Amino acid sequence: MIIYNPNDEQMLKERIKEAEELLDQITAKHCFITGSYLYKKNYNDIDIFIITRSKKKFKVSNKKAKITIIDFNDLHSLFYHSISKSCLAKNVLPSKSLKVTLSDYWQVINEAVPTILNQKNKYHKEIRYLVLYTEFFKNKIVLDTYQLNQKIKEFKNYNSILQYIKENVPDAINKNAKKSYLKKFFYTQAGFYKDIKDQYDAQDILYELTHAITRGVVHG
Amino acid sequence: MVDSEVFKNKVKEVVSQEYQFEFLGENFNQIVNFLTETKAEKIYQWLKQVAENNIRPIMVGSKKPYKEWTIKELLVFRYPFSINNTEYRVLFVKVKNSIYIEFHLGDHKYYDKVRKSLDLKRGNY
Repeated sequence: MIIYNPNDEQMLKERIKEAEELLDQITAKHCFITGSYLYKKNYNDIDIFIITRSKKKFKVSNKKAKITIIDFNDLHSLFYHSISKSCLAKNVLPSKSLKVTLSDYWQVINEAVPTILNQKNKYHKEIRYLVLYTEFFKNKIVLDTYQLNQKIKEFKNYNSILQYIKENVPDAINKNAKKSYLKKFFYTQAGFYKDIKDQYDAQDILYELTHAITRGVVHG
Repeated sequence: MVDSEVFKNKVKEVVSQEYQFEFLGENFNQIVNFLTETKAEKIYQWLKQVAENNIRPIMVGSKKPYKEWTIKELLVFRYPFSINNTEYRVLFVKVKNSIYIEFHLGDHKYYDKVRKSLDLKRGNY
Protein backbone atom coordinates (compact mmCIF):
# COMPACT_ATOMS: atom_id res chain seq x y z
CA MET A 1 0.00 0.00 0.00
CA ILE A 2 1.15 3.54 -0.78
CA ILE A 3 0.56 6.44 1.61
CA TYR A 4 0.35 9.85 -0.06
CA ASN A 5 0.64 12.50 2.60
CA PRO A 6 2.71 15.47 1.36
CA ASN A 7 1.49 17.81 4.11
CA ASP A 8 2.24 15.33 6.87
CA GLU A 9 -1.32 15.33 8.18
CA GLN A 10 -2.17 13.07 11.12
CA MET A 11 -3.88 9.94 9.82
CA LEU A 12 -5.51 7.56 12.33
CA LYS A 13 -3.34 4.44 12.63
CA GLU A 14 -6.24 2.00 12.98
CA ARG A 15 -7.85 3.39 9.83
CA ILE A 16 -4.71 2.77 7.79
CA LYS A 17 -5.00 -0.94 8.49
CA GLU A 18 -8.76 -1.01 7.87
CA ALA A 19 -8.32 0.95 4.66
CA GLU A 20 -5.77 -1.54 3.39
CA GLU A 21 -8.23 -4.39 4.04
CA LEU A 22 -10.97 -2.56 2.16
CA LEU A 23 -8.71 -1.83 -0.81
CA ASP A 24 -7.66 -5.48 -0.95
CA GLN A 25 -11.31 -6.42 -1.57
CA ILE A 26 -11.32 -4.39 -4.79
CA THR A 27 -10.24 -6.25 -7.90
CA ALA A 28 -8.80 -3.21 -9.64
CA LYS A 29 -5.19 -2.10 -9.81
CA HIS A 30 -5.77 1.57 -9.14
CA CYS A 31 -7.94 2.38 -6.15
CA PHE A 32 -7.56 4.63 -3.15
CA ILE A 33 -9.26 5.97 -0.04
CA THR A 34 -9.30 9.61 0.95
CA GLY A 35 -11.31 12.01 3.10
CA SER A 36 -12.39 12.30 6.70
CA TYR A 37 -12.32 8.52 7.29
CA LEU A 38 -8.54 8.71 7.40
CA TYR A 39 -8.38 11.63 9.84
CA LYS A 40 -11.49 11.74 12.00
CA LYS A 41 -12.86 9.35 14.62
CA ASN A 42 -16.39 10.23 13.49
CA TYR A 43 -17.07 10.12 9.80
CA ASN A 44 -20.09 9.82 7.51
CA ASP A 45 -18.70 7.94 4.51
CA ILE A 46 -15.62 6.07 3.44
CA ASP A 47 -14.70 7.66 0.14
CA ILE A 48 -13.24 5.03 -2.15
CA PHE A 49 -12.16 5.89 -5.69
CA ILE A 50 -11.41 3.36 -8.42
CA ILE A 51 -9.68 4.32 -11.64
CA THR A 52 -10.85 1.84 -14.23
CA ARG A 53 -12.30 1.33 -17.68
CA SER A 54 -14.29 -1.65 -16.44
CA LYS A 55 -18.07 -1.33 -16.19
CA LYS A 56 -18.47 -3.93 -13.48
CA LYS A 57 -19.92 -3.11 -10.07
CA PHE A 58 -17.45 -3.01 -7.19
CA LYS A 59 -18.45 -3.76 -3.63
CA VAL A 60 -16.68 -3.84 -0.27
CA SER A 61 -17.83 -5.19 3.08
CA ASN A 62 -18.62 -1.89 4.74
CA LYS A 63 -21.98 -0.14 4.44
CA LYS A 64 -20.41 3.27 4.84
CA ALA A 65 -18.22 2.81 1.77
CA LYS A 66 -19.05 5.15 -1.08
CA ILE A 67 -17.40 3.99 -4.27
CA THR A 68 -16.77 6.41 -7.12
CA ILE A 69 -15.41 5.32 -10.48
CA ILE A 70 -12.93 7.60 -12.18
CA ASP A 71 -12.28 7.44 -15.88
CA PHE A 72 -8.71 7.65 -17.13
CA ASN A 73 -9.74 10.81 -19.05
CA ASP A 74 -10.46 12.52 -15.72
CA LEU A 75 -6.90 12.27 -14.44
CA HIS A 76 -6.13 15.78 -15.74
CA SER A 77 -8.84 17.30 -13.56
CA LEU A 78 -8.42 19.45 -10.49
CA PHE A 79 -10.81 17.09 -8.71
CA TYR A 80 -8.53 14.09 -9.24
CA HIS A 81 -5.40 16.06 -8.34
CA SER A 82 -7.10 17.08 -5.10
CA ILE A 83 -8.51 13.71 -3.99
CA SER A 84 -5.34 11.80 -4.85
CA LYS A 85 -3.00 14.26 -3.16
CA SER A 86 -3.41 12.82 0.35
CA CYS A 87 -4.72 9.28 0.32
CA LEU A 88 -4.04 5.60 0.83
CA ALA A 89 -3.66 3.79 -2.46
CA LYS A 90 -3.36 0.14 -3.37
CA ASN A 91 -0.60 0.88 -5.88
CA VAL A 92 1.27 3.90 -7.22
CA LEU A 93 -1.44 6.09 -8.72
CA PRO A 94 -1.29 7.15 -12.36
CA SER A 95 -0.59 10.84 -12.79
CA LYS A 96 -1.29 13.27 -15.60
CA SER A 97 -0.60 16.97 -15.87
CA LEU A 98 -3.26 19.27 -14.47
CA LYS A 99 -5.54 20.94 -17.01
CA VAL A 100 -7.77 23.68 -15.63
CA THR A 101 -9.51 26.36 -17.63
CA LEU A 102 -11.09 29.62 -16.65
CA SER A 103 -14.23 28.58 -18.47
CA ASP A 104 -14.48 25.48 -16.21
CA TYR A 105 -14.04 27.75 -13.19
CA TRP A 106 -16.83 30.05 -14.30
CA GLN A 107 -19.13 27.05 -14.82
CA VAL A 108 -18.43 26.02 -11.24
CA ILE A 109 -19.36 29.50 -9.99
CA ASN A 110 -22.39 29.67 -12.28
CA GLU A 111 -23.73 26.48 -10.68
CA ALA A 112 -22.56 27.19 -7.14
CA VAL A 113 -24.32 30.53 -6.63
CA PRO A 114 -27.92 29.34 -7.27
CA THR A 115 -27.18 26.10 -5.41
CA ILE A 116 -25.93 27.91 -2.30
CA LEU A 117 -28.96 30.21 -2.32
CA ASN A 118 -31.29 27.21 -2.66
CA GLN A 119 -29.59 24.99 -0.11
CA LYS A 120 -28.91 27.78 2.38
CA ASN A 121 -26.90 26.33 5.28
CA LYS A 122 -26.83 22.80 3.86
CA TYR A 123 -24.02 23.87 1.59
CA HIS A 124 -21.10 21.69 2.73
CA LYS A 125 -21.19 19.17 -0.11
CA GLU A 126 -22.06 21.77 -2.71
CA ILE A 127 -19.16 24.16 -2.34
CA ARG A 128 -16.23 21.77 -2.65
CA TYR A 129 -15.54 22.60 -6.30
CA LEU A 130 -16.07 26.28 -5.69
CA VAL A 131 -13.47 26.43 -2.92
CA LEU A 132 -11.09 24.08 -4.71
CA TYR A 133 -11.13 26.16 -7.90
CA THR A 134 -11.02 29.52 -6.13
CA GLU A 135 -8.02 28.55 -4.00
CA PHE A 136 -6.31 27.19 -7.09
CA PHE A 137 -6.84 30.32 -9.17
CA LYS A 138 -6.07 32.57 -6.21
CA ASN A 139 -2.94 30.87 -4.88
CA LYS A 140 -2.04 28.16 -7.41
CA ILE A 141 -2.53 25.59 -4.65
CA VAL A 142 -4.32 22.27 -5.08
CA LEU A 143 -5.98 21.60 -1.72
CA ASP A 144 -6.11 17.98 -0.61
CA THR A 145 -9.33 16.62 0.94
CA TYR A 146 -8.17 17.41 4.48
CA GLN A 147 -7.25 21.01 3.64
CA LEU A 148 -10.46 21.45 1.70
CA ASN A 149 -12.56 20.27 4.65
CA GLN A 150 -10.67 22.61 6.96
CA LYS A 151 -11.27 25.53 4.59
CA ILE A 152 -14.98 24.72 4.30
CA LYS A 153 -15.27 24.57 8.09
CA GLU A 154 -14.13 28.21 8.27
CA PHE A 155 -17.43 29.37 6.76
CA LYS A 156 -20.01 30.26 9.38
CA ASN A 157 -23.05 30.21 7.10
CA TYR A 158 -24.06 30.53 3.45
CA ASN A 159 -23.78 34.30 3.55
CA SER A 160 -20.10 34.03 4.42
CA ILE A 161 -19.62 31.89 1.29
CA LEU A 162 -21.33 34.47 -0.88
CA GLN A 163 -19.02 37.04 0.68
CA TYR A 164 -16.01 34.79 -0.07
CA ILE A 165 -17.13 34.64 -3.70
CA LYS A 166 -17.53 38.40 -3.98
CA GLU A 167 -14.18 39.08 -2.33
CA ASN A 168 -12.07 36.45 -4.07
CA VAL A 169 -13.46 35.52 -7.47
CA PRO A 170 -12.86 38.80 -9.39
CA ASP A 171 -9.16 38.96 -8.40
CA ALA A 172 -8.63 35.22 -8.86
CA ILE A 173 -9.99 35.46 -12.39
CA ASN A 174 -8.32 38.74 -13.29
CA LYS A 175 -4.84 37.53 -12.52
CA ASN A 176 -5.22 34.40 -14.62
CA ALA A 177 -6.28 35.56 -18.06
CA LYS A 178 -5.60 38.15 -20.70
CA LYS A 179 -7.66 41.32 -20.46
CA SER A 180 -9.00 40.98 -23.99
CA TYR A 181 -10.25 37.45 -23.27
CA LEU A 182 -11.84 38.48 -19.98
CA LYS A 183 -13.65 41.42 -21.52
CA LYS A 184 -15.09 39.34 -24.33
CA PHE A 185 -16.02 36.36 -22.17
CA PHE A 186 -17.60 38.26 -19.27
CA TYR A 187 -19.45 40.88 -21.32
CA THR A 188 -21.08 37.97 -23.14
CA GLN A 189 -21.92 36.21 -19.84
CA ALA A 190 -23.40 39.42 -18.43
CA GLY A 191 -25.75 39.56 -21.41
CA PHE A 192 -27.10 36.10 -20.63
CA TYR A 193 -27.79 36.95 -16.98
CA LYS A 194 -29.34 40.34 -17.73
CA ASP A 195 -32.65 38.86 -18.93
CA ILE A 196 -33.50 37.06 -15.71
CA LYS A 197 -31.56 38.94 -13.05
CA ASP A 198 -34.69 40.77 -11.89
CA GLN A 199 -36.52 37.49 -11.48
CA TYR A 200 -33.79 35.48 -9.70
CA ASP A 201 -31.29 36.80 -7.15
CA ALA A 202 -28.70 34.14 -8.11
CA GLN A 203 -28.36 35.51 -11.62
CA ASP A 204 -28.32 39.04 -10.21
CA ILE A 205 -25.28 38.08 -8.09
CA LEU A 206 -23.64 36.45 -11.12
CA TYR A 207 -24.38 39.54 -13.22
CA GLU A 208 -22.76 41.77 -10.59
CA LEU A 209 -19.77 39.42 -10.46
CA THR A 210 -19.22 39.68 -14.21
CA HIS A 211 -19.21 43.45 -13.79
CA ALA A 212 -16.76 43.29 -10.89
CA ILE A 213 -14.48 41.15 -13.07
CA THR A 214 -14.63 43.47 -16.06
CA ARG A 215 -14.15 46.50 -13.77
CA GLY A 216 -10.95 44.81 -12.62
CA VAL A 217 -9.92 44.56 -16.26
CA VAL A 218 -10.56 48.25 -16.82
CA HIS A 219 -8.85 49.44 -13.62
CA GLY A 220 -6.16 46.77 -13.44
CA MET B 1 -42.14 2.32 -2.14
CA VAL B 2 -43.77 4.66 -4.64
CA ASP B 3 -45.42 3.57 -7.87
CA SER B 4 -43.85 5.32 -10.86
CA GLU B 5 -47.17 6.06 -12.60
CA VAL B 6 -48.60 7.56 -9.42
CA PHE B 7 -45.43 9.60 -9.05
CA LYS B 8 -45.57 10.91 -12.64
CA ASN B 9 -49.24 11.85 -12.31
CA LYS B 10 -48.59 13.68 -9.06
CA VAL B 11 -45.66 15.59 -10.64
CA LYS B 12 -47.89 16.59 -13.57
CA GLU B 13 -50.59 17.68 -11.15
CA VAL B 14 -48.21 19.87 -9.14
CA VAL B 15 -46.69 21.49 -12.22
CA SER B 16 -50.05 21.85 -13.90
CA GLN B 17 -49.37 22.79 -17.51
CA GLU B 18 -51.00 21.69 -20.75
CA TYR B 19 -47.77 20.85 -22.57
CA GLN B 20 -46.73 17.29 -21.67
CA PHE B 21 -43.14 17.39 -20.51
CA GLU B 22 -41.00 14.27 -20.80
CA PHE B 23 -39.98 12.03 -17.90
CA LEU B 24 -36.42 10.89 -18.54
CA GLY B 25 -33.82 8.74 -16.80
CA GLU B 26 -32.08 5.43 -17.34
CA ASN B 27 -33.58 3.72 -14.27
CA PHE B 28 -36.45 6.11 -13.69
CA ASN B 29 -39.09 3.63 -12.52
CA GLN B 30 -36.66 1.70 -10.33
CA ILE B 31 -35.47 4.87 -8.55
CA VAL B 32 -39.06 5.99 -7.96
CA ASN B 33 -39.74 2.55 -6.46
CA PHE B 34 -36.88 3.16 -4.01
CA LEU B 35 -38.51 6.40 -2.79
CA THR B 36 -40.37 6.51 0.48
CA GLU B 37 -43.62 8.46 0.60
CA THR B 38 -41.81 11.13 2.62
CA LYS B 39 -39.04 11.53 0.04
CA ALA B 40 -41.58 11.66 -2.80
CA GLU B 41 -43.57 14.29 -0.89
CA LYS B 42 -40.40 16.39 -0.55
CA ILE B 43 -39.97 16.28 -4.33
CA TYR B 44 -43.58 17.44 -4.86
CA GLN B 45 -43.03 20.27 -2.38
CA TRP B 46 -39.85 21.27 -4.16
CA LEU B 47 -41.68 21.30 -7.52
CA LYS B 48 -44.31 23.54 -6.02
CA GLN B 49 -41.53 25.89 -4.95
CA VAL B 50 -40.07 25.81 -8.47
CA ALA B 51 -43.46 26.68 -9.96
CA GLU B 52 -43.74 29.60 -7.54
CA ASN B 53 -40.30 30.95 -8.62
CA ASN B 54 -38.82 30.29 -5.17
CA ILE B 55 -36.04 28.02 -6.41
CA ARG B 56 -33.10 29.51 -8.28
CA PRO B 57 -32.27 27.94 -11.62
CA ILE B 58 -28.92 27.24 -13.22
CA MET B 59 -28.61 29.01 -16.53
CA VAL B 60 -25.85 28.52 -19.05
CA GLY B 61 -24.88 31.10 -21.63
CA SER B 62 -24.44 28.70 -24.52
CA LYS B 63 -25.70 29.16 -28.05
CA LYS B 64 -25.67 25.42 -28.68
CA PRO B 65 -28.99 24.07 -29.97
CA TYR B 66 -31.01 21.77 -27.73
CA LYS B 67 -34.05 20.21 -29.37
CA GLU B 68 -35.99 23.19 -30.79
CA TRP B 69 -34.32 25.71 -28.48
CA THR B 70 -30.84 26.98 -27.66
CA ILE B 71 -29.31 26.19 -24.30
CA LYS B 72 -29.24 29.85 -23.25
CA GLU B 73 -33.05 29.82 -23.39
CA LEU B 74 -33.25 27.07 -20.77
CA LEU B 75 -33.41 27.16 -16.99
CA VAL B 76 -32.38 24.06 -15.08
CA PHE B 77 -33.65 23.36 -11.56
CA ARG B 78 -31.76 20.79 -9.54
CA TYR B 79 -32.88 18.72 -6.57
CA PRO B 80 -30.31 16.42 -4.93
CA PHE B 81 -31.25 13.61 -2.57
CA SER B 82 -29.87 10.28 -1.45
CA ILE B 83 -31.22 6.81 -0.77
CA ASN B 84 -29.04 4.30 1.11
CA ASN B 85 -25.83 6.21 0.51
CA THR B 86 -26.46 6.56 -3.23
CA GLU B 87 -26.92 10.06 -4.55
CA TYR B 88 -29.65 10.94 -7.03
CA ARG B 89 -30.71 14.14 -8.73
CA VAL B 90 -33.87 15.54 -10.24
CA LEU B 91 -33.19 18.00 -13.05
CA PHE B 92 -36.25 19.91 -14.16
CA VAL B 93 -35.79 21.86 -17.38
CA LYS B 94 -37.83 24.89 -18.30
CA VAL B 95 -37.82 27.21 -21.29
CA LYS B 96 -37.25 30.75 -20.00
CA ASN B 97 -40.61 32.49 -19.33
CA SER B 98 -42.41 29.54 -20.85
CA ILE B 99 -43.01 25.81 -20.44
CA TYR B 100 -41.33 22.97 -18.57
CA ILE B 101 -39.97 20.45 -21.06
CA GLU B 102 -38.07 17.69 -19.24
CA PHE B 103 -38.09 15.98 -15.85
CA HIS B 104 -34.90 13.97 -15.36
CA LEU B 105 -34.28 11.54 -12.52
CA GLY B 106 -31.07 9.57 -12.21
CA ASP B 107 -27.92 8.65 -10.37
CA HIS B 108 -24.66 10.56 -10.51
CA LYS B 109 -23.59 8.95 -13.78
CA TYR B 110 -26.85 9.86 -15.52
CA TYR B 111 -26.70 13.34 -13.99
CA ASP B 112 -23.25 13.86 -15.48
CA LYS B 113 -24.52 12.76 -18.88
CA VAL B 114 -27.45 15.20 -18.80
CA ARG B 115 -25.23 17.99 -17.55
CA LYS B 116 -22.97 17.50 -20.53
CA SER B 117 -25.86 17.53 -22.98
CA LEU B 118 -27.15 20.75 -21.40
CA ASP B 119 -23.66 22.29 -21.45
CA LEU B 120 -23.70 22.56 -17.66
CA LYS B 121 -20.46 20.62 -17.68
CA ARG B 122 -18.00 21.13 -20.51
CA GLY B 123 -14.65 20.22 -18.99
CA ASN B 124 -13.70 17.17 -16.95
CA TYR B 125 -13.91 18.79 -13.53
